[in-house]
Amino acid sequence: MKRTQKNLKRPLLALLAVLLLSVPLIFSGFPYAILICCFILLYVIAVSGLDIVFGYCGQISMGHAAFFAIGAYGSCLLHDYCGIPIMLTMVIAAVLAASVGAVIAYPASKLVFHFLSLATLSFGEIVYQIISHSPGGITNNFVGYYTESINFFGLTLDTYPRFYYYALGCAVLFLTAKQMLVNSQVGRAFIAIRENHHAADGMGVNVRKYKVIAFAVSAFYTAFAGAMYAHLVRYISPDTFMQKQSVMFLTMLLFGGTASLAGPICGVTVVMLLNELLRSAERYQMFIYGILLLAVIVLIPGGIYGTVEKAIKNVFRRKKEAAKDAAG
Amino acid sequence: MLQVKDVTLSFGGLVAVNHVSMEVRDGSITGLIGPNGAGKTTFFNIASGVYTPDSGEIIFDGKNITGKRCFQINEAGISRTYQVINLFKKMTVLENVLVGMHSRIKSNFFASLLHLPSQRAEEKELRKKAMKLLEFVGLEKQANDEAGSLSYGQQRLLEIVRGMASDPKLLLLDEPAAGMNSHENDELMVLLKKIAAMGISILIIEHDMNLMMNLCDYIYVLNYGKLLAEGKPAQIQQNPDVIAAYLGGE
Repeated sequence: MKRTQKNLKRPLLALLAVLLLSVPLIFSGFPYAILICCFILLYVIAVSGLDIVFGYCGQISMGHAAFFAIGAYGSCLLHDYCGIPIMLTMVIAAVLAASVGAVIAYPASKLVFHFLSLATLSFGEIVYQIISHSPGGITNNFVGYYTESINFFGLTLDTYPRFYYYALGCAVLFLTAKQMLVNSQVGRAFIAIRENHHAADGMGVNVRKYKVIAFAVSAFYTAFAGAMYAHLVRYISPDTFMQKQSVMFLTMLLFGGTASLAGPICGVTVVMLLNELLRSAERYQMFIYGILLLAVIVLIPGGIYGTVEKAIKNVFRRKKEAAKDAAG
Repeated sequence: MLQVKDVTLSFGGLVAVNHVSMEVRDGSITGLIGPNGAGKTTFFNIASGVYTPDSGEIIFDGKNITGKRCFQINEAGISRTYQVINLFKKMTVLENVLVGMHSRIKSNFFASLLHLPSQRAEEKELRKKAMKLLEFVGLEKQANDEAGSLSYGQQRLLEIVRGMASDPKLLLLDEPAAGMNSHENDELMVLLKKIAAMGISILIIEHDMNLMMNLCDYIYVLNYGKLLAEGKPAQIQQNPDVIAAYLGGE
């Protein structure tokens, strides 16, 4: 049984890789679709970041739009005011966001669920206020800020296909790193804190330290995605980084399923496609998301991927049991 | 090994632990008994760092550990189990033991992020050691099951091996036999004796007198937060104060 599973895995992965690599060719006459795929990839990075702190470590954040903003504005401002190449400013901005995340998490690590959501909510609001009423108007406030495309070792990523390949590379890198991290003692410490923080503490896990690490790593992911967003759209304004965006990240994560590799991917893809389908009904968008989110939480608490995974596992188990019965 | 000197802790007006002193000797099994609400679990929580005592000192292995946090005390070599089962339910049995080893892991954050060769080698060793521990209590077949899916008695055993995973010098067991049937009880006694023979000292809270009298080298009795008596099991059985506290005599 296991062997058939393994034998299937390789060709499936190869097929997926070919499919992902050929997206710009498939949609060559339809650049808008490639743009949507770029958005999906960068949101996958952002939501995977949220998954580290929320899905694995069990700490809710209602303010991840703030890290998205720090990444976006940080990268743009560093590039314009200090003349650092964008490739670098994206990383610097993400490191900056990670430091801010760590500083926020240190006092917030004492807070539990609803108090933590209030604290992170207000953090999101503070960052929003700063970028919309910036000192000296360096962010251009509500007018918005124009920026340039990424210069990838001499190649300007100013077309959608080019950006798509760059984003695909980033997504693979970030998702691999996430898998490595959660499959190590650090990931085990995160899950232990989520499952039972008293016992985690008693078993030698420095709960506060690991909560700070989870927030910092999470902020790094989301901020890097924010920087990608800025240099893809080449224009950012405060209304992208409102509370609504934080809720959108959480919605995507809960839609897809928490604490998994595929959960954020499923969630982002489904929500982004829904987004496009609901274009004509934009006024009712949030209303429809609200109802759908409620339905997901009540009917399939594991999210889309979580439910599919469970169903597959059940099928395999039943087959195994049937085989056992037949043998016995 | 563990020396508790004149420890007091009160919650508001209630003195939960009142000037208690005790000692756990190297390689011994020391018992802590007393009626419900006598302050036994509170005492454990002080020794494991959940609470900081108002006054008094706790010396472990020659070092003062008073006021240290839980994870630091675990690192120093005291591990524990809980009265209410406190497993990581959604993690596998093996992962529960691996978390128990946390304070002994050398790989840092970046080694873990990049899965460096040193980290991979260490992880392999940890898994091997965890499997050995599971074999020790007979849970090796369930290694990849969710901890929450184990039977009650098995969960109790898993709590004990998870506590042993950090190679502690002292293991605090809070009612490990609670809810076990008499057969499981006998097995537990054999197991605890084996653990003590491995050189891990044990401090145990338990209501099952039969088990305690057969298991412990030395027993302390708490009542209303105060130390009522101490001595060898035979002495405790004869002590009129202890009999009065348990049977409610004058």
